[in-house]
Amino acid sequence: MDWLDEFYHLSSALTDYKVVQLKGTGVGEEYLDVLSTIIPQDILSELFDCYRSLKVQNSSKPKEQLIRDAILCDAKLGPVARNIIKMWYLSIWYQMPDDWRQQFGKPNQGSPKYQDVQFVVSRNAYIQGLVWEALGSHPMGAKQPGYGTWSDKPTDKGSVISTAS
Amino acid sequence: MNTVDEFDVVIVGAGISGAIMAEQLGAKGKRVLVLEAGSGTGDRFWSSGGANSKRDGYESYMDTFFTALAKIPNAPYPDNPNAPQPLVTDLEPITPNQPLTNGYFVQKGPLPFASTYTRAEGGTTLHWLGTCLRMLPEDFHIKTEFGRGLDWPINYHDLEKWYQVAEKNIGVSANADEQNYHQIDNPSVQIPYQDGYDYPMEKIPQSYLDRHMAKGLQGMTVNFDGKTYPIDVVSTPQGRNGMPRGSYRPVGAVGDPDLGQRCAGNSNCVPICPIQAKYNALKTLMQAQKTHHVEIRTQCVAYDLEVDPVTNHISKVHYKQYSDPNSSDHVCKAVRGKVVVLAAHAVENAKLMLASGVGNSSDQVGRNLMDHPTMLTWGLMPSPIGAFRGPGSTSGIPSLRGGDFRKNRAAFRIEIGNWGWSWPEGAPIGTVPDLIDQKNLFGKQLKDTIASVYPRMFRFGFLVEQLPDPNNRVTIDPNYRDQLGNYRPVIDYDVSDYSRAGMAAAKHVSDMIFQRLGVEGYTEYNPSDPGYVTYQGQGYTYNGAGHLVGTHIMGADSKTSVVNREQRSWDHPNLYLVGCGNMPTISTSNPTLTMAALTYWAADNVYKALADM
Ligand SMILES: Cc1cc2nc3c(=O)[nH]c(=O)nc-3n(C[C@H](O)[C@H](O)[C@H](O)COP(=O)(O)OP(=O)(O)OC[C@H]3O[C@@H](n4cnc5c(N)ncnc54)[C@H](O)[C@@H]3O)c2cc1C
Repeated sequence: MDWLDEFYHLSSALTDYKVVQLKGTGVGEEYLDVLSTIIPQDILSELFDCYRSLKVQNSSKPKEQLIRDAILCDAKLGPVARNIIKMWYLSIWYQMPDDWRQQFGKPNQGSPKYQDVQFVVSRNAYIQGLVWEALGSHPMGAKQPGYGTWSDKPTDKGSVISTAS
Repeated sequence: MNTVDEFDVVIVGAGISGAIMAEQLGAKGKRVLVLEAGSGTGDRFWSSGGANSKRDGYESYMDTFFTALAKIPNAPYPDNPNAPQPLVTDLEPITPNQPLTNGYFVQKGPLPFASTYTRAEGGTTLHWLGTCLRMLPEDFHIKTEFGRGLDWPINYHDLEKWYQVAEKNIGVSANADEQNYHQIDNPSVQIPYQDGYDYPMEKIPQSYLDRHMAKGLQGMTVNFDGKTYPIDVVSTPQGRNGMPRGSYRPVGAVGDPDLGQRCAGNSNCVPICPIQAKYNALKTLMQAQKTHHVEIRTQCVAYDLEVDPVTNHISKVHYKQYSDPNSSDHVCKAVRGKVVVLAAHAVENAKLMLASGVGNSSDQVGRNLMDHPTMLTWGLMPSPIGAFRGPGSTSGIPSLRGGDFRKNRAAFRIEIGNWGWSWPEGAPIGTVPDLIDQKNLFGKQLKDTIASVYPRMFRFGFLVEQLPDPNNRVTIDPNYRDQLGNYRPVIDYDVSDYSRAGMAAAKHVSDMIFQRLGVEGYTEYNPSDPGYVTYQGQGYTYNGAGHLVGTHIMGADSKTSVVNREQRSWDHPNLYLVGCGNMPTISTSNPTLTMAALTYWAADNVYKALADM
């Protein structure tokens, strides 16, 4: 599998959105580009390997717990995974935590396309942020729902069942 | 020597007030020049040209907005060091005797002045919300009525016909039989509308939240000083396109008029309506240019008004013209106008007059700076109300705007916010990271939490009245200048006990409403908030409303006011001032509609005055 594929599957597990939903945003490649520019390659491949091995593990524990144990509470992989979730939801890259940068960060060489500072990934990424859909609306400033729609009874998203693949 | 251009009218500032002046006088054949400090997008909606000849259209503001980290009101409008603008992110608590200088304003305190404006062609209406309330009749004479503030030299009836003109030209959506407040059981707030009058467009549909609130608060009353007042939810008149009445045609986007014929629910009025369904002054500027008598020069900052010592007329307007916002290279130029109109907004008008030493025989220029200290309360409704949808606010509670309590404390209007906790907490962008980093949610839990909590978020905004106080003022100081060498505004500001008592009463009303609706309260005021104040041992936080009022007030006496009822300087026969700076009091309505009405009147006065020049 190439990294893009692995990235989508990991992202799906981290966000509970189906791979096809994530692909439908059209910004996955851009996110992976950000990620692989800022995060050292060996850490990224460790993260993908780790998730791949979880998938084939035969454990009685729920998958959520396995992800918490192996990825989210890991000092090296956890902050990377959390940044992936934030990127999908908010389309923002947040600077990696200080202690992580000291221990694992790579110094920015030359002038790479993306630096490890806080930034909005792109115009289109903002529009594709998952948070808007999750909260039952549309990105503020885009995907206009039409005149008077704000008067309608909101659809009850709270009862939506898990859609992860 | 270059010859100096001469016009019938020279207007400083291409915001709504300058645009109205230009359009009205241009339409009557007067030759008008508008000087605009900021950059502009002209009449283009879409950007055009290639890499070397790119001409930005309005659309370019959307790019800046989408990729801005802080989606503050000025986010879409690029920073321009030659025409700097204040930002809400500049605000901090002020240490005594240590002015806050990190932004454009030099804030001397004791409290920070929290409101901002935009310096680009089109002005601050590029990011205004569009609320278009009329003032109450009693608001024009609160000195006589309540022993507070100042009386205006005009009354509601003088202004009524100009309100109608302004509502038509801005394009306000509302129903007159609701906005006259005759359904509200508080005679103090009722507003007489001319028989048979109605707004050009039908009222904008109220949000689901508004309707939920109206139902829940039906019959609710509160008691102040032994008198009972009703709590009524009423739709708010808005400068945004809705369903037209009769033959009225809504004005769409400048440069692409098919866009923006109707509000489409982009939920982004502040900081920018993507389709210009919301009014902004670019529309009036376009109409002005269609008269073929109006020229607009952007990137021209007026910095000095020269006075003819014999006639006391303003003989020349001096300005600095630049070609690149990031370079201080500029040329100094001058123009003449038979009439000169300052329309640069309250703070900049005062600054320009002080810098030029004109119009200040009363010593009132720059004084009586006001805003609506805006206190927020927020919480979660028991059930989803569909937050983050629609225009920023579609209804309010206006029933406490007037009453005898104004003898003792400030009145306020309650704005119902449709965008959840976006103002108080920066939700969702500012709050979701906490769910991930601190609350340790991911996957389905994260998704379900957002889905169950965010649609229940809501906030009130309490726009509290502030009285004119000569010590709340704009001054200049040669030590503080911008890149072009122009003065930066130096501001002294405080919030009096009269307004603080209004905040306390507002919090009391909010608490009762939260009880009644079963709202889970999350309101928090912290001593570290820039706008933190205390009153009788309790803490409250105000924010800026963007309503900069009263730096060159109008009055009946040349010794205590800057302009007369015609909005002409008492000192210079050909100098007119327009904008919210003319308003002697702010009361409880967002000021722009009243200011626009005054400006139509001022345009008429200028036209008549030109006949004798
Ligand atoms: C977030 C926000 C929301 C708001 N919402 C509402 C609302 O809902 N309802 C309401 O009534 N009001 C609202 N307001 C207030 C409203 O925007 C202003 O009252 C209104 O825009 C003032 O119009 P103006 O023409 O006087 O000034 P502006 O619109 O500020 O225009 C002044 C123009 O003059 C130019 N200028 C400044 N200095 C110079 C100079 N030296 N030389 C040449 N040009 C100069 C500026 O660049 C600008 O283009 C809001 C304000 C803010 C900040």
